[in-house]
Amino acid sequence: MNKTRRLLFRLGTLLVLLAIAAWMMVIGRGHTVYFDNKKLEYEGTTYDPPYKVTIYVGGEQAAKLNAKERGMATAIGQDFEMELKIMEVKGGDETRETYQIKLPRNLDGIVVNLPGFLAGLPEEAWMSEFVPMVTQETVEEEVPAGDEFGMEDIGDF
Amino acid sequence: MKNESFGKKILSFIGNNSVPILFVLICIVCIPISGFSASYLINEIVTRMGRNIFLILCLLIPIMAGMGLNFGMTLGAMAAELALILVSDWQIWGIPGVVLAMILSIPFSIVLGTLCGKILNMAKGREMITSYIISFFMNGVYQLVVLYMMGPIIPIKHANVKLPRGYGIRNSVDLIHMRQCLDNLLAVRIKGVKIPVLTFIIIALLCLFIVWFRRTKLGQDMRAVGQDMDVARDAGINVERTRIISIVMSTVLAGFGMVIYLQNMGNIATYSSHSQIGMFCIAALLVGGASVDKASIGNVFLGVILFHTMFIVAPKAGAMITGDSMIGEYFRVFVSYAVITLSLILYETKKRKNKSMVGQQLAQAQKDEEAGKA
Amino acid sequence: MNETLSDIHNETLRDRIKAMVAALGLPRLIIAGFLLLLFIAAPFVGADFWTQISNTINRFSWNAVMVLAMVPMIHSGCGLNFGLPLGIISGLLGATLSIELGFTGPLSFVMAILIATPFALVLGAVYGWLLNKIKGGEMMIATYVGFSSVSFMCMMWLLLPYHSPTMVWGLSGKGLRTTISLEGFYDKVLANILQINIGKLSIPTGTLLFFALLAFLMWAFLHTKTGTAMTAVGSNPTFARAAGVNVDKMRLLSVIMSTWLAAIGILVYEQGFGFIQLYMAPFYMALPAVSAILIGGASVNKATIGHVILGTFLFQGIVTMTPTVMNSAIHMDMSEVIRVVASQGMILYALTRKTEVTK
Repeated sequence: MNKTRRLLFRLGTLLVLLAIAAWMMVIGRGHTVYFDNKKLEYEGTTYDPPYKVTIYVGGEQAAKLNAKERGMATAIGQDFEMELKIMEVKGGDETRETYQIKLPRNLDGIVVNLPGFLAGLPEEAWMSEFVPMVTQETVEEEVPAGDEFGMEDIGDF
Repeated sequence: MKNESFGKKILSFIGNNSVPILFVLICIVCIPISGFSASYLINEIVTRMGRNIFLILCLLIPIMAGMGLNFGMTLGAMAAELALILVSDWQIWGIPGVVLAMILSIPFSIVLGTLCGKILNMAKGREMITSYIISFFMNGVYQLVVLYMMGPIIPIKHANVKLPRGYGIRNSVDLIHMRQCLDNLLAVRIKGVKIPVLTFIIIALLCLFIVWFRRTKLGQDMRAVGQDMDVARDAGINVERTRIISIVMSTVLAGFGMVIYLQNMGNIATYSSHSQIGMFCIAALLVGGASVDKASIGNVFLGVILFHTMFIVAPKAGAMITGDSMIGEYFRVFVSYAVITLSLILYETKKRKNKSMVGQQLAQAQKDEEAGKA
Repeated sequence: MNETLSDIHNETLRDRIKAMVAALGLPRLIIAGFLLLLFIAAPFVGADFWTQISNTINRFSWNAVMVLAMVPMIHSGCGLNFGLPLGIISGLLGATLSIELGFTGPLSFVMAILIATPFALVLGAVYGWLLNKIKGGEMMIATYVGFSSVSFMCMMWLLLPYHSPTMVWGLSGKGLRTTISLEGFYDKVLANILQINIGKLSIPTGTLLFFALLAFLMWAFLHTKTGTAMTAVGSNPTFARAAGVNVDKMRLLSVIMSTWLAAIGILVYEQGFGFIQLYMAPFYMALPAVSAILIGGASVNKATIGHVILGTFLFQGIVTMTPTVMNSAIHMDMSEVIRVVASQGMILYALTRKTEVTK
């Protein structure tokens, strides 16, 4: 009796921990979102970038982009909320609006093409994966040679 | 008459607390020489308290079970580093990343802790040196896993974690997206001193847990085992199991502590973060007035404050006095080791004294009995 | 009939193997087997056999004396001398002072030994006195005595008034360098005596002879009256005390001998290596020596000269062979990891063996 209860209790703890871990995996997934304020061609139509876009994420300014520029912000979780302040032409009026994007969980870096996004195109038109440039590292990072016994000297604490 | 006993009391107080008093003196001398401002010093100490106290608290449980200073807490630190490397590669950021790393470290800690506990059960009476060697041995295994198995066997995706050669982890893993996320949540600033309230709440919870744990059946068993293994066994306590549990608990808590420590630091020195952590935590605990067989939560807090004050001011003070900054660096390392040495010596001499006292009492009792018979 | 006979034969063979495993200990067998495998594999992966042998013998000659230093303390029941760095420091003091006083060439080696001796005797006496106070907890305290003394000397190397331009930092003119070249002093003084060179094989005869001399003296000492008394103290202190042996005095003597041998050991190491290493270098030097003697077959309370020779050879063999062989075999330098796991595993194994606890 006591044994089964203990077993159940342990299983319960294990399940709770696993559930929390899974939940953390979902809500803690970090993404880097890149904003491209660049011309986009989609199905024969060209979408021109606005003159200036200011992007606010979480109340803070993340990027201020003129046409042909790219900015970035980091996001934790899949629900990404941003506020865009858009100036269509130089010296023109600014509009502010809040947008929400559902970020795909499996991508580290996500490129959002702003003109395409603002024009309300389907997702695959303005969202793409950010592929980091392969930087050739010629110098092999030094693998710890260590002293005689593999425990390093006193590190800073 | 009253005065004399008061004087005696002071003397015995000094005798029993020689290490903390010595440290207070060192700090009193070094602080003005170092010339650090009060706010800088307090800020640093508060940061280091948040960073280290959790780790040091994990040492209390094996001491309770009479297993001495758990040099094997390094194993928990290794478990935490493994977990953090994986979490960092999976790109889980912020508080969820910290929580996930803690959960993930549990299975590693349990496996390592059980192993450590089993080995220590085979080496009763020399737990400390054995746990110390275990930490070296496991460091080799850890290197095997991290340097050769991560990549080909354990999938590692991101180039900022993996070595350019295709397997193994870089010397340093960046935790920039996790950096101080626990400390900054709910942080309060008072006159330029940042107080990581959430971290302190977590520490307070652990303290409460330890206080509660001492009163549970298991906690009582542990204390009984710590007092005398044979008596405990006669009382029906499973001594071996109790000892293993105490080491496992210590290792798991050390893992949590290491996650807290590393989120504050903001990066993992993959091959060296854990190597000295046991030594520094033990030194801090002993500076707080603990001994090999007796330590309290108060010792932990006092120890962290005194030890880290010395740690901060010693290099600067040393540089001011001798003109060479390295002197202070070596001085603080020397002091750490000397404190541990001194405490070990005091503990062993006390143990021998008690033993011979018990022996004398027994002999006396026997004599009395014989005299009574005659 | 036939079957049962072979069964019996098998049984005895298995028993014999079991007994052998029990006597040698599994880890020791694994390590010896691993080294054998390395030697066999060496020619196949393109590592030159004779170069490997030369390297192993060379490294053996550097380290053997330090491993020999383990013997007296094990005999007297003080356990493994994790406090070896204390003796090493005496040796370093002798080495640096000998150069500071202007001795060069082979004479500097003799002087280094002469100067190191009083330091080793005094430090060893203090250390032995301490270990007599804390019987039963020797190993942990020895470790930390070693660490404390090394970190204390780190400050001293900076502060002591050394002036010899070959040793101090060039710019500031004070404070000793971390490594000091022995060229012109006692670099390879022992190794060059009667050195044998056959093709790629080279044997530092002088160093080996020096070790043989010390090992013989140790062996002879252990067979004197004092030596047997010391062994008695280690194996059965109550009996020894009853037989009228002064236990504390024996232990003190063994610690002093161990410390002195460590001082000589580091000087021998330096003459082979060609450099004096100061500051944190002696920190972990006890561990290779401890694991070497254990690999050779010693236990926490039993050690012979044979264990020293076999152990040093096996340990240094692994140290020298693994990098080259592993590197050319699988293009992964796992030598570091193997060395750490093998040697620490050996120490762990020895610590967990049941031995009569000395009281």
